[in-house]
Amino acid sequence: MEAMKRTLLDKINVENVKLELMRTAFGRQSTLLGRLDPRILIIWYSIFAVMPWFIHEEAVLFGLLLPMILFTLSSKVSPLVLIIMAIGLLSELAYILIASFLFGGSMEGIWALLTLTLKILIISLASIAVFSSMDPEKLSDALLSLGMPAQFSFGVSYGYRTLPILIEEYHNLIHSYRLRGRAPEADSWLRWRSLLYMAKISVIAFYPLILNTAKRTRTTVEALEVRGFTYSLVNKEAKRLKLAYLRVSWRDYVFLAVSAIYMAALFWTAHAIFPL
Amino acid sequence: MIPAAASHHLVEEPAQAAPAIELKNVSFRYPGAETDSLRDVSLTVQRGEFVAIIGTNGSGKSTLCKCLNGLIPHYYVGDLTGCLHIAGLHAAEESVASLSRKVAYVFQDFENQLVRPTVYDEAIFAPLNFGYADYRSRGERALALLDLTRLKERWIWQLSGGQKHLTALAGTLSLDPDIIIVDEPVAQLDPYHARLIYDKLKELNERHGKTIIVIEHHTEFIADYCSKVVLMDQGTLRWMKPVQEALSAVEELTSLQILPPQVTRAAYAADPSRALYPITLEEGEAYFREVARSVSLPGQSATIRSDAEVSAKKEGLIEIRHVSYAYKTVAKERHPVIRSADLHLYEGDRVAIVGNNGAGKSTLLKLISGLKKPEGGLLTVCGRETARTSPEKLADFVAYIHQNPEEMFIEDTVRKDVEYFLKARHQLNDSSFIDEVISRLRLQDLQQRDGRLLSGGQQRRATLAIGLAMRPTVMLLDEPTASLDAASRRELGEMMKELQDRVKLTVIATHDMQLVAEWANRVIVLYEGAIAMDTNPETLFSEPALLRQAGLVAPQMTELSHRLALSPPALTVSRFLERMGIGPISHKEGRWTDGSHEANPAG
Repeated sequence: MEAMKRTLLDKINVENVKLELMRTAFGRQSTLLGRLDPRILIIWYSIFAVMPWFIHEEAVLFGLLLPMILFTLSSKVSPLVLIIMAIGLLSELAYILIASFLFGGSMEGIWALLTLTLKILIISLASIAVFSSMDPEKLSDALLSLGMPAQFSFGVSYGYRTLPILIEEYHNLIHSYRLRGRAPEADSWLRWRSLLYMAKISVIAFYPLILNTAKRTRTTVEALEVRGFTYSLVNKEAKRLKLAYLRVSWRDYVFLAVSAIYMAALFWTAHAIFPL
Repeated sequence: MIPAAASHHLVEEPAQAAPAIELKNVSFRYPGAETDSLRDVSLTVQRGEFVAIIGTNGSGKSTLCKCLNGLIPHYYVGDLTGCLHIAGLHAAEESVASLSRKVAYVFQDFENQLVRPTVYDEAIFAPLNFGYADYRSRGERALALLDLTRLKERWIWQLSGGQKHLTALAGTLSLDPDIIIVDEPVAQLDPYHARLIYDKLKELNERHGKTIIVIEHHTEFIADYCSKVVLMDQGTLRWMKPVQEALSAVEELTSLQILPPQVTRAAYAADPSRALYPITLEEGEAYFREVARSVSLPGQSATIRSDAEVSAKKEGLIEIRHVSYAYKTVAKERHPVIRSADLHLYEGDRVAIVGNNGAGKSTLLKLISGLKKPEGGLLTVCGRETARTSPEKLADFVAYIHQNPEEMFIEDTVRKDVEYFLKARHQLNDSSFIDEVISRLRLQDLQQRDGRLLSGGQQRRATLAIGLAMRPTVMLLDEPTASLDAASRRELGEMMKELQDRVKLTVIATHDMQLVAEWANRVIVLYEGAIAMDTNPETLFSEPALLRQAGLVAPQMTELSHRLALSPPALTVSRFLERMGIGPISHKEGRWTDGSHEANPAG
């Protein structure tokens, strides 16, 4: 048992989290959703992220959950992301049970809260599936094409570029804290002192990270100026060239049509089986 | 196809007579500054020249270059007077956009210049911004010019430092500029990659007719590649001279903390009355062959000492037995970095770990510091097995200094950073110890400033102070002289010697062979994660084949010794002169002869 606890804790270290993040961001995989036009995907996502809030029939919600699970599986999502989501979900369920127990709530209250959790689950899975299968570059271009300001869409793709630098530097800063700091002595119950210590340095390490990034920005801003970024903001031709590769194909129409038919079928079935 | 395109470009340019750059009485003051950063600078650079700009920090080199690409006065709005003609354009009337199509600029911290995720995206970024319909072929041509085509699909973060620099260059070449400015290419790169960059610049200059301007501290590169040298001093342009004449001004340059090539200094020391000196290795060889004929060469003296026997009597501090380490890649593969290494390090050792990029130098240091745990074998530091000891515990014995000083500054003043270790251990009883460390590294005036805002040399000193204040038994330094100018490098060399009475064992990972020659008494050559050689500097530099294999470039004096068949080779200028039977050296020159009296390995 002790050995198992150790290996599990050893697995959750900065090194492995870093690798998982890099895999999520840069593991180029061809997925079902990734082959679609990013603009269509964004529109599809914005419909399906809002719709669950207006649906009350549990049967329909379960029917929505099914394709979301399939999409998430097809997107080869990193286990790290799923674990984080699972932790969130389980703690939410625990809190619902405790809350309803303490306040003497009936089963009806729990049922309503469980429905809410189900909606959140659907939206979370949709977000994970869409954003982990969409290349950030395509996302950035889609946003530009949908009329977002160029500074904003560039910010998305620049974030993608700087992510590895930030992760690496953050890791080294954590090292600096560890090499000069002092870890708690005695191994307390469930190592909570150690966990608290690590949690503390993983938060304060952001301060030097932010300052270092601010310092680096000067070169980046000058380079953007010299390389014509400001010029491209007012140049229509540059934007047209950049977005020329985005095309809506038959695949996108099929995807939208299937989605619509599935939704219609879902509502029809739900009403047929559980009439109001 | 590419050369054809380039020659076509050359023919197309009509006014060959017009110089690439013509500045007349240019002065510039940054907004809010008290004094001018550039004062009355007049400079003419002809098309196709390869010019180096030298000068100390703050002499106005970078400001001058920013005038050339239009960042001054269009982005940094300040007081600019005088007349600037750049690539046939009247600079004051143009925008940054139109000037930057003529003038390419590669920054010193080029990594921050790269704003796109992949190499190809980076190459097409600028032409796409300017709305060139042929942006794809422009990007591809630029990549082909620099032999980067096979790296096209790579992520930027997967590249080595040299490849990143080339990518930054490709990103500017895709606009097909007439003038290319590169700010301190050698500073951030290892010697092998630095030479690669210069070879590419030379090709662009000779085959494609580009005008090249480099800001450079390393005069040995200037001697090998440049045709003219501009000396800047306190915002003024002191002179512009042909390269040999410029580098032969040994006395003037050394007074400005610029070190001429070792062969030039040696020749100057031998005969200070000449007007011109050899500046390259080849010229040095010819020169000293001539000298050797007139003086009788001493016989093959000095046998190589073995330090291993001396060390054996001392206390063993680090024991590495069959240690191996591999890191996981994003593609879930394991990439071995250290392969079954065996090494014992003793008290009094000054160890330099050398090897090319990716040989595992940094990983070895991190393994010793306890930040990484060995995957196989046994590693003990001061009697503690690192696999069972937390980095915090090991820090009582080991201080590790990061390659990038900025990653060492976790507080908002230098003093707080220096105190951090003792404070965390509640051992900061009296501040006199901290005061002593601060004054020893000459940080009194800087101690209340944020470490991030100091200059490169000051940052290194501050990180050394942080390390010393940990009162370590073992000090580990990763690339301590990277990105330092010649003066700061010398200073750091002196500081390293200061450490010896405080620390029992110092280990550095470095590309800087001059530092190895002057400071180390033990050299570990890493080659593809294995220890290829464990020896002293003299023996290392007697093996040119191994040096080449490990991607190392020996100091010029060592190369010269080989060519003149001096064995074992001299490692420093003064040792070389001694061996040649030239001297005594004049007092003035003695300051600059690498302090070999201290640098000689104990014995």
